[in-house]
Amino acid sequence: MMQNIPPPDILLQLSLNGALGGAMYGVAAVGLSLIFGTMRLIFLAQGAMIILAAYFVRALFYSLGIDPFLSLLIVVPVGLGVGWLVYQGLFRRAAAEEDRNISLLIAVGLMFLIQNLMTVVWGGNTAAVVTSYTASGIEILGVRTSFTRSMGFLIALAGTGLVVLFLRKTIVGKAVRAASEDMEAATLMGISPHRVNAIAFAIGIALAGAAGVAVATTFPFNPFAGFIFSLKALVALALGGIGNVAGALAGGIILGLIEAYVQYFISGGWTNAIAYGVFLAVLMFKPEGLFSRPYKKA
Amino acid sequence: MLKQVFLERAWPKQAWIGIAVAVVAGLALLPLLPGAIDSYAFSFLFFVFIYAIMAQGWNLVAGFGGQISLGNHAFFGLGAYTTAILWSGNYLWGSLYDAWPRIYYFDPVTMVLGGLVAAVAAIIIGLPLLSKLRGDYFALGTLGFGEIVKVMFINGGDFTGGAFGVIAPAGTFDTLLPHYLVGLGLMVGTALAIRLLMRSRYGLALIAVRDDEMAASANGIDVLKVKVAAFAGSAFIAGVAGSLYTYYIFHVGPDSVFDLDWMLLPLMMTVVGGTGTLLGPILGAFVMYAVFDLARIVVPDYHPVISGLTIILAMLFLPKGLMRSFAGRVRVV
Repeated sequence: MMQNIPPPDILLQLSLNGALGGAMYGVAAVGLSLIFGTMRLIFLAQGAMIILAAYFVRALFYSLGIDPFLSLLIVVPVGLGVGWLVYQGLFRRAAAEEDRNISLLIAVGLMFLIQNLMTVVWGGNTAAVVTSYTASGIEILGVRTSFTRSMGFLIALAGTGLVVLFLRKTIVGKAVRAASEDMEAATLMGISPHRVNAIAFAIGIALAGAAGVAVATTFPFNPFAGFIFSLKALVALALGGIGNVAGALAGGIILGLIEAYVQYFISGGWTNAIAYGVFLAVLMFKPEGLFSRPYKKA
Repeated sequence: MLKQVFLERAWPKQAWIGIAVAVVAGLALLPLLPGAIDSYAFSFLFFVFIYAIMAQGWNLVAGFGGQISLGNHAFFGLGAYTTAILWSGNYLWGSLYDAWPRIYYFDPVTMVLGGLVAAVAAIIIGLPLLSKLRGDYFALGTLGFGEIVKVMFINGGDFTGGAFGVIAPAGTFDTLLPHYLVGLGLMVGTALAIRLLMRSRYGLALIAVRDDEMAASANGIDVLKVKVAAFAGSAFIAGVAGSLYTYYIFHVGPDSVFDLDWMLLPLMMTVVGGTGTLLGPILGAFVMYAVFDLARIVVPDYHPVISGLTIILAMLFLPKGLMRSFAGRVRVV
């Protein structure tokens, strides 16, 4: 159980690994945040999408020899397209309904569908992507960490940065932000809810693609590993503040840190309970997230 | 003709009562048919009953109460564990079971206790959640709660049997008949109780809170109390369903009784049947479980794919649910 305070280098190592791993939850949470912001939909299929992307990356690597990190150039545009299609095909009608159970259930149905299609196509066993550099490590601040984890972190940073830039600098991004704050008022200003929703979905799934690259290179995965990602992304989202995109990334990193510390100081078995406990506490005492500033979102 | 019956005219109340009584009587008399007890239909119906009870419970808090709970699987698991722990009798007071082997087999006290444990948990978690959180945030909170409960049971040591769970004595099992009858009785009983409840002052208050919280509060309704009571009632029903399941499965483990399916499937059945209607959850449970089970038999390798597709198609084309889409303007409560 409780251990003595470890030497600083172990603490640093713990923090670094936690933060780097947590960034993956963060990038998933950014996608969730966009979708939740515009459609008020808890998109539980986000994790399944991440694993689907991971399998896609794996297929590209083993059958075409495309480097996993290079495959970002394929996965992200494909994700944008898939996200757009998923919205138009599945959620367009449900988004107009008052009853949000319908969208939630379509997301659940999509999750079942993807999970099991993956099982049918690739089998239920654990898969991994092993490259020449999988085992190599790099040194940051005097502690060692794996190269792939660091790349995953960079992908998360870049992805979140691009989304933030898009939301702040482009007119379409501003429309998405306006819709997240008040869909009704945004509609009155001439913003089409369907276009905004579709854009949020496209970016959300593209980010799932980016997270998929990070997952494929870092962890072994199986078709059913996605759901836990969805839950973790939701926790990261709540920590960062719903509607706060940069906060979602930060929330993911904090979650990663909490997990790393709990694992080391208490026990691996309690990681999830404590993470969700923090989640409940934040929801109850600071539902606007840990980093909220009034009237300044995204 | 069909169109006239189904869409243009509301069915008279007597017709519904007549149909319901006929169906229940038919189901109750089914065991008298030779060979029925050993047939596949029997276990199929038993599962429909469990899911219908769960769906009815979810419908109480979400359909009638407007609070979307994503934690009902936790209450199901609590009820199941309570029953298994009491029944196996090896944990708290020594083996009561050995002294009176029959006492814990469909023992009403144990089943009610299973429901009560779930209801108490719902009150403990519901008071802070429901006083602070609304809408989506409440849904997220209950989802987190469900996962916490699961981890607690995995780490519960000897008391909960850890990751393996608890095994209840299976010695008394020789036929599915009591399961079937108790399941049917509970399904009918739950529906009747909810009908009674929804026609009482409390039911009207619950609907008022769902439709307009501010107006309800302005009219002197204690909003928090009404919401927590609905949540606890829903948990009680889920706990009893969990208890019923324990008598069937004998081995209660964290991965089986805290499985998310125990929340998602009843939710889906309710929405497909008709949220906020009395018969919707039952109809939804029958139809959806039939679809899933058929898929499992016909295309065993692909059946979860079919399940996913069915959910999506049902939501795309039947968003209002079977009751409201086909039964016309029926009185829903």
